[in-house]
Amino acid sequence: MRRALLARLGASLIAFATLLALGAGGATPLKAQTMANTVPIEAWNAYMQHFVAENGRVVDTANGDISHSEGQGYGMLLAFLAGDRSNFERIWSFTRTELMIRDDGLAAWRWDPNATPHVTDVNAASDGDILIAYALARAGISWSNPAYTDAARKIARALGAKLVVKSGDRLVLLPGVQGFSVEDRKDGPILNLSYWIFEAFPLFVQLAPETDWARLGVSGLELLSIARLGPAQLPPDWIAAPARGPVTVADGFPPVFGYNSLRIFLYLLRAGIEDSQILESFRRSWLAENGGVPAIVDIPTGRVVNQLTEPGYRMLGALLACALDRTAIPQDLRRFEPTLYYPSTLFLLSWAVLVEKYPRCL
Amino acid sequence: MSLKRAALLLLLGGAVIPAIAQQIELPVGNAPAADRTPPADGAARPSIDESALRYFASQGDTRRLEAEIARLRALYPDWSPPADLFGPQSDPDLERMWKLYAEGKLSDVRSAIAARQASDPSWQPPAELLARLDESENRRRLINASDAQQWSTVLRMATETPGLLTCSNVDILWRVGEAFAKTNQMQRSLDAYTYLLTNCNDAAERLATIQKALPLLDDEQVKQLLALERKDAQGQPEFTSIRDELIRRRVGRAAENPEFVASSDDIARLETLARAGNTPGDPLLLGWYLFRHDEASRALDWFKLALDRQGGAKAAEGYVLALNSLGRALEGEPIAFQWRDAAPENGKAYLDVVISLLTAAPPPVLSETVLTRFSPVVMRDKYVPGAQALGWYAYNTGQLVVAQAWFQTALSWDPNDEPSSYGLALTYWRLNDAARLNALVQSWRGRSERIVALVDANLRAQLEARNLQGQINRTTNPLVAAALRVTPPPANAGAPGTGLAYTAGQPPTGFQPVPTQQFQPVPAQLAPAQTAQAAPVRRAYAQPATYRQPAPAAANRPRSASGDTARGSGGGAAALSRGWRLMELNRPIEAVTAFDEAIRTGSGRIAEEAAYGKSLAYMRKGMTNQAQVAAIEAPQSPRRAMQLTADLLAQRAYEFYKDQRYVEAIISLDERARISPEQQDLMMMRGWSYFNIRDYQSAERIFRALAAQGNTDAMNGVSEIEFARRLYKRE
Repeated sequence: MRRALLARLGASLIAFATLLALGAGGATPLKAQTMANTVPIEAWNAYMQHFVAENGRVVDTANGDISHSEGQGYGMLLAFLAGDRSNFERIWSFTRTELMIRDDGLAAWRWDPNATPHVTDVNAASDGDILIAYALARAGISWSNPAYTDAARKIARALGAKLVVKSGDRLVLLPGVQGFSVEDRKDGPILNLSYWIFEAFPLFVQLAPETDWARLGVSGLELLSIARLGPAQLPPDWIAAPARGPVTVADGFPPVFGYNSLRIFLYLLRAGIEDSQILESFRRSWLAENGGVPAIVDIPTGRVVNQLTEPGYRMLGALLACALDRTAIPQDLRRFEPTLYYPSTLFLLSWAVLVEKYPRCL
Repeated sequence: MSLKRAALLLLLGGAVIPAIAQQIELPVGNAPAADRTPPADGAARPSIDESALRYFASQGDTRRLEAEIARLRALYPDWSPPADLFGPQSDPDLERMWKLYAEGKLSDVRSAIAARQASDPSWQPPAELLARLDESENRRRLINASDAQQWSTVLRMATETPGLLTCSNVDILWRVGEAFAKTNQMQRSLDAYTYLLTNCNDAAERLATIQKALPLLDDEQVKQLLALERKDAQGQPEFTSIRDELIRRRVGRAAENPEFVASSDDIARLETLARAGNTPGDPLLLGWYLFRHDEASRALDWFKLALDRQGGAKAAEGYVLALNSLGRALEGEPIAFQWRDAAPENGKAYLDVVISLLTAAPPPVLSETVLTRFSPVVMRDKYVPGAQALGWYAYNTGQLVVAQAWFQTALSWDPNDEPSSYGLALTYWRLNDAARLNALVQSWRGRSERIVALVDANLRAQLEARNLQGQINRTTNPLVAAALRVTPPPANAGAPGTGLAYTAGQPPTGFQPVPTQQFQPVPAQLAPAQTAQAAPVRRAYAQPATYRQPAPAAANRPRSASGDTARGSGGGAAALSRGWRLMELNRPIEAVTAFDEAIRTGSGRIAEEAAYGKSLAYMRKGMTNQAQVAAIEAPQSPRRAMQLTADLLAQRAYEFYKDQRYVEAIISLDERARISPEQQDLMMMRGWSYFNIRDYQSAERIFRALAAQGNTDAMNGVSEIEFARRLYKRE
């Protein structure tokens, strides 16, 4: 059983290990990745105008205009991918001043403009920290800014120390410092597989080598192959993954493949992992059953709860069709029109991976 | 400009990075930090950054301009302001950055610097601008971290940016002081506040500093800070108001923890403040302090004042608890009821008050209201101790059927509540319901000695012996106390069906603690059959010496009702004096009628007197059950209620004894002994009762004790026992 699983995992693990090996330079300094900007500056400017306040705050417009560490990380990553040093610095300044206040060196995850004090939940969210550290690490290399690299290192170390934990044979990424671990929850650890941002791990290997990021990535891929639940065989947003025992939908969370999980395949493609079994599930749900459009799916019944037709979400479908079937990106998706923060972010990240890895579809 | 050495920063550095051992120059007043050491030789000196100076000049901001000039002069003694200070800026881009900085738009400044460096890689922002930016960002970050209680971050920011730690940033100093305290670095916390009080001059901020330090530091440390007190412009010590605050704090702590005692000076001062003020805070504080230090009577007055000053739920709670503790629960009950939903503590206080009323010995007279509004609360909350207390109340007022219903109700909510089971077992025993008693005892075998003892003579004897050795745990829980007061019946009570015929359990007609309208927990079919009138156990041997009927003291007490009746209403008062006259003529049955009329038409003291008279009348006729019912028809003063109950119990014991129902006689004597000392005549009755149930050991103990005091009847008792023992040996 276990062997069969590993055999199936094999291909993607090898790909991932290769990726890590490429990134890992041992004691050698980080190499600058010479790369043209993969997010067009006009699109980025439009994003800035809609979702980034003057003080560098990335605003979640669908969520009461709050901000969070994830949004700040996305903003910094997109600014980097657009080559916008000025606004990268703007967003980082806000992030550092307002969110990087935790004693353990991680970011507080939630910031509300209508609350005093603004930080309304000081808990960390590991995807936010990964995005921030990853954006800093890449900016530090590309723009030769040791202060960025230094900040990235501190966050990566804190992540490794606080949020990467052993769970039986696995090394897992806790979604936050409080509330998810096996100590906090009977069915713990509670995990979110869309927090594994695989493309960051090769850089973290160099920044914080005391943590086994490669093994963390392997555990993530293994869990992805296990967590295809329900008739639709899709990974729920939140899973309970006890060290011993089956992976299930986490109690107290909506039992859906939803806004979290739909970005998993984007992260896989961005990390260059194209042959994970999980992509097949995405293909069946989005391309075969929903006409190329991502959908929120109820895990127990496999029924579609909601089809997502905003350009940012359709872009995810188009990217999947491109990666799996070499389908060209439809004309109406070749222009960026900001809608809401989250789909707009996914649109630009998808665009960046198309430019970088699938120019044939453009 | 003088720079002052401050140990604070050394400590600050040491707190986070112990390796830092150098002292840092700390400026006083409003000057910004100067942690950059002037270079020793002029050749290596970087060009002096005058961009801030020029920006402030261009804005006409003379305050900042002067501060900046002073700062640069302190750093570079040779330097003097440029002549063209008010001329046009040479670098409009940099000027814009300073403008953004002055507007607090830190992210914009960062963004502008990055933009310029992107287009001109050789450009370096002025070090001063970067330093100011770092300082401002760290200031915000420190405040954010402090608001989020991330104390290590607060200290890290302070260490990275010691320039923040000046008198122009007292808020930052306070937050640093707090962060030290919250990370258990008390001496450093004290240092931060000491630094502030030594160097900073703003009167309001100095006062606020002490207030900030108060909740964090201990008394000794606060005392050290108060030593830094100065005189204000009028020559008054600046911290006077704080000293009162400190008194409140000391008294408050002692109020929380009775092990601490506040000095009489503190209390006196607080009393003065409390009287002088018009807020409930100080009276409340005094109330709690005194209440927790066993001065409920004084506490009561302060709680009352607090309540009058709109002190709210806490004041009501204290008031109620104080009344309860003074034995005035009856007075507290209405207030307790009124506030019962204000806070959980008030709900608790209400329950406590009623439970203490219900379980008082002797059972006080409770108005219908008290009971009718208590039982719905008990039912709603399925409150086991409440149902149990109602059970004891019913039991102690002889309403056995009602007692049975309440104990059963309590057990339906918690089958394992031992005291309720004990109450129920006693009730069955008194109801002569052997079947149910045995069933209940079976279910508690191995779990409750005292329940099993009801049917187990040996165990009963052991328990008694233990009780006599005074091993009953004294307890303040009124429920436990209520259960303890009810002593298990004597050894041979183990077979209730054979020897006991107790009729006292008939529910009285006049008064029902179970509200029959809103709530009727007694199903009609539960009413026990009271008909088993078994014959008393007959002994083969001769009844010992005659026993003289004890005359209850109260029955012979001369009346002095005149003063009371004078105040009464005409009809009631007249009926009352008629009742007393009939009693003097020894016509008790007619007296009862007169007293009844007085109870019906009179109020207050008249009704109380009449109820008392009525119960005496019944006692005169030997109708003790009726006497007990009569006694609770109107509220009695506690002392009289006690006396009346004692008399009733003595009378009842005698009735039982006369009927040769010795076990019940002993129970009555037990009950009486708990509220009143047992005189020799009653002890003799007890001794003979034990003798008659062949508990020679108990009887002998009593007789010998009395014989030792020269009681000749008791000496007879001893020889009777010896004779009886010989008799039995021969058998």
